[in-house]
Amino acid sequence: MSQKDTHTKLDHQLYDENHQATKDHPWIFRTYGGHTNAQATNELFRSGLEKGQTGLSIAFDLPTQCGYSSEHSLAKPEIGKVGVPINSLDDFHVLFEQIPIEKMNTSMTINGTSMWLLALYIALGRERGVDISLLQGTTQNDIVKEYLARGTYIFPPEHSLRIIAEMYEYCLENIPKWNASNICSYHLQEAGATPAQELAFALANAIGILDLIKERGLFDQEQFERVVGRISFFVNAGIRFIEETCKMRAFNELWEEITRERYGVQNPKFRRFRYGVQVNSLGLTESQPENNAWRILIEALGVTLSRNARCRALQLPAWNEALSLPRPWDQQWSLRLQQILAYETDLLEYPDIFEGSKVISSKVEELKTQAKAEIDKILEMGGVRSAVESGYMKSALVKSMSERMSRINDGEQIVVGLNKWTEAIPSPLLQGEDGGIFKVDAKSAAWTLEQLEATKQKRDSDRAEKALAELKKAAQEGKNMMEASIECALARVTTGEWADALREIFGEYRPVTGIEGQKLQLENERVSALRQRNDEFEKKHGHRARIVVGKPGLDGHSNGAEVIAVSARHTGFDVIYSGIRLTPEEIVQSAVEESADIIGVSILSGSHLELADQIIAQLKSAGAFEHIPVVFGGIIPKEDEKVLLEKGIQKVFTPADFELIDIMEQIMNIVESGKKIAA
Amino acid sequence: MKTLIEKALEQDKFSIARLITLFEDTRSETALQRAEAMKKIKASPLARSGIFLGFTGTPGAGKSSLIGEIAPRLIQTESKLSVAVLAVDPSSEVSGGALLGDRTRVRFPLSETRLFFRSQSSAGALGGISPTTFQVCRLLHYLFDFIIIETVGIGQNEIEIKNLADEVFLILQPMAGDQIQFMKAGIMEIPHAFVMNKCDETKAARQSYHALKASLAFVRPAENEIKILQTSVRTGFGLDDFVSELLSSRERSHSSLHEKEVHFFRQWVKEEYGRWGLQFLKEKMGGAAALMQITQSFDQAQIKFIHSFLNE
Ligand code: B12
Ligand SMILES: Nc1nc2c(ncn2[C@@H]2O[C@H](COP(=O)(O)OP(=O)(O)O)[C@@H](O)[C@H]2O)c(=O)[nH]1
Ligand SMILES: [Mg+2]
Repeated sequence: MSQKDTHTKLDHQLYDENHQATKDHPWIFRTYGGHTNAQATNELFRSGLEKGQTGLSIAFDLPTQCGYSSEHSLAKPEIGKVGVPINSLDDFHVLFEQIPIEKMNTSMTINGTSMWLLALYIALGRERGVDISLLQGTTQNDIVKEYLARGTYIFPPEHSLRIIAEMYEYCLENIPKWNASNICSYHLQEAGATPAQELAFALANAIGILDLIKERGLFDQEQFERVVGRISFFVNAGIRFIEETCKMRAFNELWEEITRERYGVQNPKFRRFRYGVQVNSLGLTESQPENNAWRILIEALGVTLSRNARCRALQLPAWNEALSLPRPWDQQWSLRLQQILAYETDLLEYPDIFEGSKVISSKVEELKTQAKAEIDKILEMGGVRSAVESGYMKSALVKSMSERMSRINDGEQIVVGLNKWTEAIPSPLLQGEDGGIFKVDAKSAAWTLEQLEATKQKRDSDRAEKALAELKKAAQEGKNMMEASIECALARVTTGEWADALREIFGEYRPVTGIEGQKLQLENERVSALRQRNDEFEKKHGHRARIVVGKPGLDGHSNGAEVIAVSARHTGFDVIYSGIRLTPEEIVQSAVEESADIIGVSILSGSHLELADQIIAQLKSAGAFEHIPVVFGGIIPKEDEKVLLEKGIQKVFTPADFELIDIMEQIMNIVESGKKIAA
Repeated sequence: MKTLIEKALEQDKFSIARLITLFEDTRSETALQRAEAMKKIKASPLARSGIFLGFTGTPGAGKSSLIGEIAPRLIQTESKLSVAVLAVDPSSEVSGGALLGDRTRVRFPLSETRLFFRSQSSAGALGGISPTTFQVCRLLHYLFDFIIIETVGIGQNEIEIKNLADEVFLILQPMAGDQIQFMKAGIMEIPHAFVMNKCDETKAARQSYHALKASLAFVRPAENEIKILQTSVRTGFGLDDFVSELLSSRERSHSSLHEKEVHFFRQWVKEEYGRWGLQFLKEKMGGAAALMQITQSFDQAQIKFIHSFLNE
């Protein structure tokens, strides 16, 4: 390099420490995956790694996430549906076969049972003879967003937060490269959060964790600073990609302020805002699904364009997001997008291209101001735990979601192919033999159940029992539960047993639904007409039409059910909605005792057929099947719609049915005509 | 085939639910059906004679959560004892619809036929219960041993529960002492006992307990020992005492169902036919008590009243 070059640095050129022109390394390309069973998922991972994927991102099935072994009655319809089922360390051995875990960066989307899954990973390392301090990765382990948006919580907030704190306390010295938790704002946007809410709720959440760790007092300031450095985030990037770029910059700046001012972190390295991204999926449509490819690309730009706020890892959904889990080809297509962006374009050659833009910095300031006001409000309430328990945060999200749906309904927010330009040539992507849809082999659960049975047969049951007793003791005495959990893992304790042991000590939790007092921003002729129809129904039948909105099983997708419940009340129905994760028995019992005029079931996890059978059977045994009609809504493939109708479900709604008033009119039609016997 | 009524008396849930719908029915033309149903029910050897317990107090105090814990404990005290819950929620002024959310806090053991939970919309009424709450209670009186009524809990004007319930429990949560002092004397005069819930929040609870005690001495000086129960749904503290208190309500004397019928008959006339109706009742029919005496039935009295009023 000549003398001259160092003097005339170009503004558009990136230079390394030695003043050499350079180019950035790309972010980590992640593909979120897992399904069927440990064997099938192992194959999926290995082929992904061969294709150039550089980290693992594991999706677990809902029983594993909610702390049930596959044999549990709540688990049965869900085994392997939306992720890989893990019952014991034996499953982990299969899952990671021929994958060198010491060289992997493994991200686990696991929350309620995060401590258990980390214990399994460490136990796997120990049995393989791997130096566990080399393990790298993340357990998502963010319970606040589970209560608010994602739904795989088990224990009450106090105890769940203790688990998170203990994992930080364990990891810092034992597996220093592990992110004990990952503060998530991704799911908040998926549940309707505005950019300011996303910023504020996530940062308040991080403050809650750090305050708690500080309060527990097990770390000195040096260690505490390192803990701050371990805090990482999982953020969303929506279609308004300029605003999203600004949101990332705002995150950066606010985190810098918080870590410096609130926690006095000296080392700038530990103040850096580290984040991974999954781009927005809520806006991906069932209608004209090919359009989603463009949306995903645009959203990816929002988190990569600005070098100063570029993500560390990126995960993209697929074009068929609103249809089913992605098939391998769909995932490959999305991975190729990342590769093209990173390797074909010149994106990684420049310094931050927004540096000095007045427009950007003004927008960033605005977001920061809004977010700060909201953070202050939450802190004043006593912090995130109070704001979760009181229902404040959940209500705020349901409100935002109802507003979003209202805007889409009245055309104020355009969604191409959904509420505008809806006429289109049928998509060739849907024409293949499989209809562009991924289906889990229903028989694949057998392998998992056999493996579980074999584990229980083979294990030393004394050791397992002792390990569980030690775990309960640690839980009761307030000792760190990591080692006890690792011993449970080594002793072949199962996922359900681990969680049950802690349920016994901590109890279970059911957060508020957040729908109280909510309404749609829709006041038009159709709304008035439907209200009038409801009034007339009351006059004619002597009572107001009653709908029970039910979420059976372990599915945590609440948006649809909430929006339907809010819409029903808005249009004059009496509504009973008791939140997610109820059993079919509970839902039917509500409908029976309340003498409901209709049951509306919402299922997005793919287990609609099994749950329909259970609900119908329950209704029959209560003698109510001929009296109470049932409709279904959610991610329900066309061919399953037919099956449901044959079973006696009256109607099936999918994401293409976005017009809420239209849905409520159809429900009213069924209520009016479905009354076989007047009271 | 067993009739709906037979099945309801045997505690079949769906049959009870459908009978409730009949008693909630606001159409006067269904009064005859109610009269007939009532006659059969009363005549049955299976008919019970339940006691009405009112749970009132501001939203969020923990009424529903307490019911969720208390009712299953109540039925455990005797092998045949049964409990019905009627929970009232506010309706929307704009749409008329209501979100019936109390159920969320209550998870009764499934298929336990001795427990029954039903929600009601206040249907625009302001007294904390719905215009049809009494009608349903009248039915439940013969089907269950205890009927717990959870009021809307919006404000401090929920005096109507006094006329319905045999005993009223005011559920409170820890709050600042001056807030207790600001509570209207009206609401403080009603309850049979006070329940300070959320006593897991110990410090605040203790302070509130003492503030409440002090203000009761002021508002109800004549009574020397008004019960203040302390409970926590979270820890289970005080729940057994609360259950004992509820059980003991059977040993105290209360107004009869008939006396309540007289009051609610008048209410019904007022709601449906206004001041004119009331005047008519008094002047032309000799008042509610007399009319009830003649017809020997709430529903027949309604039929008779409607008939006479419309013919006038
Ligand atoms: C938002 C979202 C989430 C959010 C949920 C937030 C929340 N609180 O609801 C978050 C990020 C938390 C999430 C998490 C997961 N998700 Co998700 N999620 C979605 C997404 C993108 C949108 C769903 C949504 O909310 N839409 C908006 C609402 C308003 O629409 P809707 O529910 O479809 O309801 C409309 C209609 O369907 C209908 N309707 C629905 N229900 C009812 C009921 C009645 C009575 C009536 C009349 C009508 C009706 O009317 C509504 C109005 O238009 C979908 C994909 C997609 N684009 O649809 C995936 C999707 C549903 N998720 C999926 C998966 C796998 C998961 C996870 C299980 C992943 C994992 N392994 O961990 C987790 C775990 C969640 C859990 N605990 O169950 C899969 C399900 C796969 C399948 N069925 O085969 C999908 C399809 C994505 C995919 N392609 O992989 N998810
Ligand atoms: N800490 C604590 N919280 C409680 C207790 N009882 C109820 N809650 C909470 O208070 C909130 C309101 O309870 P709810 O039963 O719905 O009150 P209601 O409106 O009076 O029926 C819920 O979040 C409950 O979990 C208690 O004893 N202690
Ligand atoms: Mg309540």
